[in-house]
Amino acid sequence: MTTQSTSTSQAPASPDGLDSIFRPKSIAVLGVTNTLGTVPHDIFVNILTTRFNGVVYPVAPRKRHIVGVRAYNYVTEIPDPVELAVLVFPGAVCEKALQQCVEKGVRAAVIISAGFREIGPAGLERENRVKAIAREGGMRLIGPNCLGVINTEPEVRLNASFARAMPDAGRIAFLSQSGALCTAVLDYAASKHIGFSKFVSLGNKADVSEVDLLRYLAEDPETSVILMYLESINNGRELMKAAREIAGNRSNPKPILAIKGGRTAAGAAAAQSHTGALAASAEVCDGVFEQSGIIRCQSLEEMFNAAQLLSQRPVPRGSRIAIVTNAGGPGVMATDAAISNGLDLAQFSDETTALLKAALPAAANLKNPVDVIGDAREDRYGAALDAVFKDDAVDQILVILTPQSMTNITTIAQTVCDIKDRYADSDKSLLCSFMGAKDVAPGIEILQRNGVPHYILPEWAADAMWRAAWYRQWLNREVTQIETLPVHRERAAAILDKAPDGYLLESQALEVLEAYGFPVVPSVLTQTADEAVAAADRAGYPVVLRVVSPKIIHKIDVKGVILNLKNADEVRKAYGAMRDNLLQHVKAEDVTGILVRHMIPAGKEIILGVNRDPTFGHMLMFGLGGIFVETFKDVTFRIVPIRASAAGKMIRETRAYALLKGVRGEPPSDIPSIEDALKRLSQLAHDFPRIAELDINPLIVHPQGEGCHVADIRIRLEQP
Amino acid sequence: MANQDVVNRVIKVTARVLSLDPESIKPTDSFVFDLGAESVQSVELVASFEQEFGIEMNEDAALAVDTVNGAAEFVAKFLK
Repeated sequence: MTTQSTSTSQAPASPDGLDSIFRPKSIAVLGVTNTLGTVPHDIFVNILTTRFNGVVYPVAPRKRHIVGVRAYNYVTEIPDPVELAVLVFPGAVCEKALQQCVEKGVRAAVIISAGFREIGPAGLERENRVKAIAREGGMRLIGPNCLGVINTEPEVRLNASFARAMPDAGRIAFLSQSGALCTAVLDYAASKHIGFSKFVSLGNKADVSEVDLLRYLAEDPETSVILMYLESINNGRELMKAAREIAGNRSNPKPILAIKGGRTAAGAAAAQSHTGALAASAEVCDGVFEQSGIIRCQSLEEMFNAAQLLSQRPVPRGSRIAIVTNAGGPGVMATDAAISNGLDLAQFSDETTALLKAALPAAANLKNPVDVIGDAREDRYGAALDAVFKDDAVDQILVILTPQSMTNITTIAQTVCDIKDRYADSDKSLLCSFMGAKDVAPGIEILQRNGVPHYILPEWAADAMWRAAWYRQWLNREVTQIETLPVHRERAAAILDKAPDGYLLESQALEVLEAYGFPVVPSVLTQTADEAVAAADRAGYPVVLRVVSPKIIHKIDVKGVILNLKNADEVRKAYGAMRDNLLQHVKAEDVTGILVRHMIPAGKEIILGVNRDPTFGHMLMFGLGGIFVETFKDVTFRIVPIRASAAGKMIRETRAYALLKGVRGEPPSDIPSIEDALKRLSQLAHDFPRIAELDINPLIVHPQGEGCHVADIRIRLEQP
Repeated sequence: MANQDVVNRVIKVTARVLSLDPESIKPTDSFVFDLGAESVQSVELVASFEQEFGIEMNEDAALAVDTVNGAAEFVAKFLK
């Protein structure tokens, strides 16, 4: 160390400590240079030029000043307290710099520098050392390897990033694991006058994670909606818990929208069960996000379309929409998009129709969508909007405009804004689609500046309205409890706790299911053809033979399953044939026996499964079963344990639900028996963490009132 | 351990490239953390050491060297 510490003896950071990152009174930027166009230079200049409401100190060894501001060799030389350090030194010296920050009593740091886990094992070690320094020093840490942080709050005005410009102030907070995406988002948002409350590049998340930030933003009065772009999730369970609390807070709901990138087929390749393979796909995120109230988006366009609407408080109250348009075709397009998204066209009251009739010409369409006719000016738009705003059957209102020669675009835009202000206390939302580009641009500008969500295409507006309606529905959902069903846990534990890692024998797996109350058809493990015939006689024909062997996972591949044997003679012949064939694949001592059971009558084939996800823990799966399960991927997931209402929701989310309800005169299937099986499976997985993968495929579901039966089961155990 | 002559010559080159007083440079100083070398200057330092000592170094390995002493030891290996 070349200088004496001038520690100010500040108290170490609080466990939360994120205010020191977003609302610091003083900042030191460590590693600043005078070289224009470099990150170390631009960050310092950004803090200065965006008029940060605090004191900023450049730390630049052997430099007298940085852009006219007196520079310090070390952070420890700064005579005053420093609350936040922004590190732009090369990664290799960040440890030294951070150590000095600890000596100085700095409360938080943002490490912009790269050269950490993203470069490999040596970088990971460096990151762990930096993390340890921060932890021991009681500092919170954003990054490393990030773009920085922005807080637009007028009392703070902090742009500690190398983004090109400070965004407008707004109600949206954006968190991103990709720094480069941040700059693109800022540019995109600026073009649409979308403002932000906080903007955070998470980087490598050595300390502060998305969960910490969600909890911080939940308390942030400047933030109404939170957007996230995530590639990895540090602690899935914690994220889901935090999201559920924040998005589900009915007295102060903050919608959370997320894009989850980087979920690839790599994990699927490693899994051996259907559930395992499918759990590595994107569907698993749909399930957990749905369970937690997170609105999942596939693209930035979708995300910002919905965010614009949801940042307008309050959250839209429902899915009944009204459309007011001066053009028939776009009205039809918007209607089609709305209906296909699951929205409803509001049925106007007689009073609304009367108001519309009084204000609009005879040729106007008074029903929803309201067509104010192509020559409409602001008076017709104003009257129509006034009428639909008053209608209690309307939740969301979409205004469509196409530019005719007589359309006074800017005046209509201003009228729309005035109407919005007039109904500011209403819990209805107002969106616009001024279709076109050049002629409508001045009108769009007025709308955006006045905070009216605008969409070039009505389909995008419909998408945003649908997401808002989904969120409202989730928010209003009945919150049920986790049911504990009566099961024989000890009986299952006697098998599961003693079995080694790997696959259970089918006979053991069936016993586990039986202990948990699953509908299992009794079966007998036999060693000879005579035993098999005797068992078949007792079970009743037709019967099924199924090989049991620790060496055979996929029975069908070795002809280890023979169905529909109608008498003793068929059983005897099939037994011999199966035995002879098996001995070509495995040794005789590896065949535990052959199960004989009564054949389950035909029914609808579905799959139930469990997979222990490294991020989210046990995931429960439901979907269309049989051999095409991975082809159609008609599956849905939930985190275990599920609440009572979740089983029904899982079933209703799949396309298989339509089949289960009965098509073309078929009787409906016994859906309550599937719900019961899902709850039992959730309980089983929750009780036994060693279950790594479990497939019930198929579960054969019979007509309503006749239940369902487990036809095949695989359970793989592995120490978590 | 590099001899004093090598250390002095490294200090001389460092002072020239970074526009510093040689008297202010200590052998334990970090080029970046204590002497304020920017990334371009770090590359320039490596080139200048090669010129000063008439050697050719692996640039990535040379750039990983953090201190004046470290640079002197690194250079000394090429002088044997």
